[in-house]
Amino acid sequence: MTRLLPLRRIALAATWLVLLAGLVGSTAWAQQRALDAEVFAIGDELRCPTCVSESVAESNSAIAREMRVLIQDQLDQGRTRAEILAFFQERYGDWILLNPPRTGVMLLVWLLPVAALLVGAAVMLVLIRRWRRAADLVVDVADDDRERVRAALAASGAASGAAHAGSDASAPAPRP
Amino acid sequence: MKRVAIVAVVTAALGGLFLFGLLRGSPDRDIPSNLIGRPFEAFELPLHARYAPEFGPTLAVAPGEAGVPMVINFWASWCGPCYQEAPFLEDAARRYEGEVAFVGIQTQDRGALAAGRAFVDQFDLSFPNAIDDDSRTSIAFGLFGVPETFFVHADGTVAYKHAGPVDGALLDARIAELRR
Repeated sequence: MTRLLPLRRIALAATWLVLLAGLVGSTAWAQQRALDAEVFAIGDELRCPTCVSESVAESNSAIAREMRVLIQDQLDQGRTRAEILAFFQERYGDWILLNPPRTGVMLLVWLLPVAALLVGAAVMLVLIRRWRRAADLVVDVADDDRERVRAALAASGAASGAAHAGSDASAPAPRP
Repeated sequence: MKRVAIVAVVTAALGGLFLFGLLRGSPDRDIPSNLIGRPFEAFELPLHARYAPEFGPTLAVAPGEAGVPMVINFWASWCGPCYQEAPFLEDAARRYEGEVAFVGIQTQDRGALAAGRAFVDQFDLSFPNAIDDDSRTSIAFGLFGVPETFFVHADGTVAYKHAGPVDGALLDARIAELRR
């Protein structure tokens, strides 16, 4: 192995240092930072600004990672969950909150599903009652009708016993 | 007959809702900024090296301090539309020199210093471009993505935010409103 000149050695070492610094300072930094579970609990309540249907806790986008680090910093400074959510709400509006505030028009988001459930249950109750009433209804059947059904059933029983393929022909005749 | 009518009405309503969802475009673009009508948060960020001789190593911007309307543009080196709009920003910055202050901020782009430098060099951007490495300033502005451009009144209150690339006509129209 050829010996490197001191200047070359220094250059090589400097190159490695720059590469290392680049690695440490790169995007990986935000991900490598140790984060409390509370960061993800708060991130779960925040919408990722650049994603579709993903929270800050779930997303791996650059901004979501930075937001998680920011949440950790604010927790380290002793801020509460409510304060941190308010911080983001102040800047991004209600849009950022995955659980919309329970005031004003947003209250509808919470009330409508409950209302829909109640209306659905009421409709079901009415329908079930109607069906029950229909089932309890005594149907007045004339004696000759009864006799015709009995005859048809007997005929179909005999026919299906004789030839299975003739089941269509042996079906009871429709009422006139 | 009545039943058929009910089924038809419900189907039409659901179909209408479906079509609305399909055709309403990208709703995320239309989210209004929470900053409109309010002053933005003051910031101090390091500048790309080429601006150091004129502005120093960092750029401190506080609302109303410039005394003229401002255009604050957020970009990233990985963002295609940012390359598309950069020439328009540079052109407008030259045309409105002394009347409107332009500021560029590289954001959501951690560690991409060299790429950012290449970006400002490529378009020979004459207005100061700062580096928001940890994206804190972009969060302070309630930024959704890049590019986004904020149009600020001379008193420091935010007048309008445009999401997506700007062009000459849009810049002229919004700046005219700021100067009215």
